[in-house]
Amino acid sequence: MTVTVPARRRGGRATGTGLLMAAPALLLFGLFGLVPLVGVAALSLARWDGLGSVGWAGLANWSSVLTDGATWQALGLTVKVMAVSWLVQTPIALALGVFQAPRGRVRSLFAVLFFLPLLLSAVAVGLTWQALLDPSFGIGATPGLHWLAKPLLGSPELALYTVVFVIAWQFVPFHALLYQAGIRQIPTALYEAAALDGAGPVARFRHITLPQLKYTMVTSSTLMLVGSLTYFDLIFVLSGGTGGPGTATRVLPLAMYITGFQAHDMGRASAVATLLVVFGLGLSLLTTRLSGFTRMDSRQEGM
Amino acid sequence: MRGTPVNGNLKGPRIRRVVASAVALAAAMGLASCGTSGPSGSSADSSAKGLTMWALNDQTILKESVDAYNKDHPDEKITLRLFANDDYKQKLRVAFGAGQAPDIFFSWGGGALNDYVKAGKVDALTAAEANTDRFTPSVMQSATFDSKVYGVPANGLAPVVLYYNKKVLADAGVEPPKTYDDLLAAVKKLKGKGVTPLSLAANSKWPTLMYLEYLLDRQGGPQVFSKIASGDAAMWKDASVTKANQYLQDLSKAGAFGDNASSVGYDQGASTALLYTGKAAMEVMGTWEYANIAKAAPDFLKKGDLGYTALPSLSGGAGDPKSIVGNPSNFLSLNSSTKHRSAALTYLKDYVLDGSQVDAYLAAGSVPPVKDLESKLAAVKSSSDKAWLTFVYNLVEKAPGFQLSWDQALPSDQADPLLTNTDKSFLRQISPADFGVNMSKAAS
Amino acid sequence: MSTTVTKVHDPRTGTGRDRATGRPAAPSRPGPARRRTAVARVRRALTGGATLLWAAIVVVPVYWLVVTSLRSRADFTADSPLALPGHPTLDSYRTVLDGDFTTYLLNSVVVTAGTVVLTVTVALMAAFAIVRGAGSRLSRVSFRLYLLGLAIPLQAVIIPVYLLIIRMRLYDSLPAIVLPSAAFALPITVMILVSFLRDVPRSLFEAMVVDGAGDWRMLFSLAAPLARPALMTVAVYDGLQVWNGFLFPLILTQSGDKAVLPLALTLYRGQFGIDVPATMAAVVLSTLPMLALFILARRQLVAGLTAGFSK
Repeated sequence: MTVTVPARRRGGRATGTGLLMAAPALLLFGLFGLVPLVGVAALSLARWDGLGSVGWAGLANWSSVLTDGATWQALGLTVKVMAVSWLVQTPIALALGVFQAPRGRVRSLFAVLFFLPLLLSAVAVGLTWQALLDPSFGIGATPGLHWLAKPLLGSPELALYTVVFVIAWQFVPFHALLYQAGIRQIPTALYEAAALDGAGPVARFRHITLPQLKYTMVTSSTLMLVGSLTYFDLIFVLSGGTGGPGTATRVLPLAMYITGFQAHDMGRASAVATLLVVFGLGLSLLTTRLSGFTRMDSRQEGM
Repeated sequence: MRGTPVNGNLKGPRIRRVVASAVALAAAMGLASCGTSGPSGSSADSSAKGLTMWALNDQTILKESVDAYNKDHPDEKITLRLFANDDYKQKLRVAFGAGQAPDIFFSWGGGALNDYVKAGKVDALTAAEANTDRFTPSVMQSATFDSKVYGVPANGLAPVVLYYNKKVLADAGVEPPKTYDDLLAAVKKLKGKGVTPLSLAANSKWPTLMYLEYLLDRQGGPQVFSKIASGDAAMWKDASVTKANQYLQDLSKAGAFGDNASSVGYDQGASTALLYTGKAAMEVMGTWEYANIAKAAPDFLKKGDLGYTALPSLSGGAGDPKSIVGNPSNFLSLNSSTKHRSAALTYLKDYVLDGSQVDAYLAAGSVPPVKDLESKLAAVKSSSDKAWLTFVYNLVEKAPGFQLSWDQALPSDQADPLLTNTDKSFLRQISPADFGVNMSKAAS
Repeated sequence: MSTTVTKVHDPRTGTGRDRATGRPAAPSRPGPARRRTAVARVRRALTGGATLLWAAIVVVPVYWLVVTSLRSRADFTADSPLALPGHPTLDSYRTVLDGDFTTYLLNSVVVTAGTVVLTVTVALMAAFAIVRGAGSRLSRVSFRLYLLGLAIPLQAVIIPVYLLIIRMRLYDSLPAIVLPSAAFALPITVMILVSFLRDVPRSLFEAMVVDGAGDWRMLFSLAAPLARPALMTVAVYDGLQVWNGFLFPLILTQSGDKAVLPLALTLYRGQFGIDVPATMAAVVLSTLPMLALFILARRQLVAGLTAGFSK
């Protein structure tokens, strides 16, 4: 789990060929990654309805976005999806990871099974769950399962949690995979030594497995947190593109999309998008800072 | 979806340098995206050979007019693309923004069409060019801006009516409601029978809006919304708007829409399916639904179980109970950057709602907005169709006002706040008074 | 899907990295052996139970998806949703395949293959340049740019990307999906390849330099073959992301004949309406290629998704 800036070598310098080799990627990434990054900030100062010409708006978009309760609600929902997703997914993924860690036939069969949702596109997952949860014709029509015949995606109180559940359905297996890999890399010698010391399974789990999984947990958590910024596709499909019912599932990316591509206020949408960029960069920075307390950091300083 | 590494190596000053270099690079590459003019390419999306035309999925009769045109004009054919209702408007807008819009496009007239007119994207049509004198004048209002006509009606009159399942109502001992109070009483009885009183595709939001449009028209009269549509944002805060929302919420509170309405989407066809499968008793929907029912459940029609009536009156309301809301018609308009203007005009003038089209619409249970229709109506063979067509025709003929759907009448930037607040009012997440407050804020 | 950057393989140490954080487990009081096994059993039962429960949660929707696609329209409303179809039929699949499915499939294949080839090629060159030029300004700056790139949420820059694509006159074309998809796949791909190439012993490169080989020859005859496992991993990973990508196709294309599968699925929903079996058949069909990939390249796929976290 380490990315390091290439070691500094005295006298290292780019050759002409090196530049040539690096150029296509830089050009591609610069054009579609970096230019838009600056472009979105620039557009947040512009007025553009998607039809006419782009005009100067000054800070009008910003003052309207920042004073709009809907923006803060969308931001709040984004944080809520993030937090609830983390709370739901982490314990389940950890439990599944612990179970899957020992090698064996049955366990690898489960591993294959758990992988299925990861193969589906967010649209496929969204359409399937939307039809499955339809109160009239979905799973709730099964005898004995009538208690599921509820507007799980239609009720403002339940919709967000349903969305979080569907997200978990798709991504818990992935995080379980991470934990499984993490557990497999714990040196068995540690357990043997602890067993010799008379440590019970609970003690071993608490004092060996959990501390040893610290990095895995940081990785998995970061991916969940940053990933939840990008659950656009799934929520888009599940809510029929509206972030509804009402605005119950209108997270920040969806609010941006609706402002830009449905209400055709590209300038305002760009201001929302800029918030998203700031939020994303801030989150990455924060998690790296937090994980910076780990030994990984000191390891790299030695490089 | 992409990820971000956990990285022990990112340090404050470094990330600042990274950002600085990113900015420098972007600046060096020239910020193509912040020029002062909009997207330059604005030519219509058409190959050298033919034209493109966009419409909705369910416009099968319109498609026949395209086929007829194509048969006569093999050298300059029209390629018709059909879309689902819920995302059509947005796709059209994006296509215009990207300079890849069709030569001929389908719309609801009103404020959304006016957006394109104001942006210079649509050509006005003279009476001679498109033979517009053959259409019902009141319908043409929806596509007329500054006394110029920007579209040709392309299908039937589409007021909103109340459909009901006769068998379900009879089983519950309920008469089709004539007043709002009748409706509330019917709701109570039908709920007791375990059926959903009013089927509603609330997930699509615009079906819910139909209730508000109708309730406001009954409560406050047509002038309230006319003022709103002409830009008077404060009018949203009128007492009648609050009252209309109150009535909607009362219905919802009484359980009129069942428990699951918010999960039902229109494009899935489930709301009407609930009606003809007898799981719901009534549905408020546009007249186009008659054709959809005929297609999806021909037996239901044949048995004569489908009933329909005008929307109930509202005691104490200022509006005329004969007034109607809905879509006067849909329109076909001409992209101003088309390279096929004369071919497009030929199609609009000679093929749209020509004699055979009018017959086809009538046969499908839809009343086209053309003048002098009585004789053709009288000649319709199927008695159930004739009854329906006559009902629609008389409804429109006798209506003192025909209010265009709000989401079509208003400029497109207000459509989303409108639908969202309608949904919230329906879900009782906001108070009846909040609706007007929120809307006047969004409109100003 | 998200992933993390890590070493795919570490030739220096052969096997896994040493992840020991040090502190051995604090010794706890020895307890009776019987209690210990009981606790272990409880723990196994708990994790096993959780696994079984989750397996059911995963399987039921997939099962429903498949059986629903095999029902007729009439049976869909009549049958119990989880029962086996009384009269299984392939009609829904026929409905889907009679339409434009092959066009969508072909578009998806072209977009995915194009993106993967473009991304992997330019990323390999860039990674090689970064590793070979280690310490140089170019190497440092470009590396950090990709690092930054990992933190940019794709949704956040879609409006400028849309504007750029329009300006480039690429709107509503397959390259309109390929170029930004490749650009956003680059950071992670470069990172993985860099961490892999960095571990190739310098002596190998130096031996080639002595032989008079230039950078290009080193790239093609040394770096590329050596990096094959890593290339496979990133190719499979990037492929899955692009195949399932939705936002770029949604915003940057509009025509039915340019639609890729995920976008086509939303078109199907509008087109089929209440014909849920047909929509579900389309969902199944759109997933089959990835299922085939999973069966053929499971190791790479797992490695790609966890980006080498589990070897």
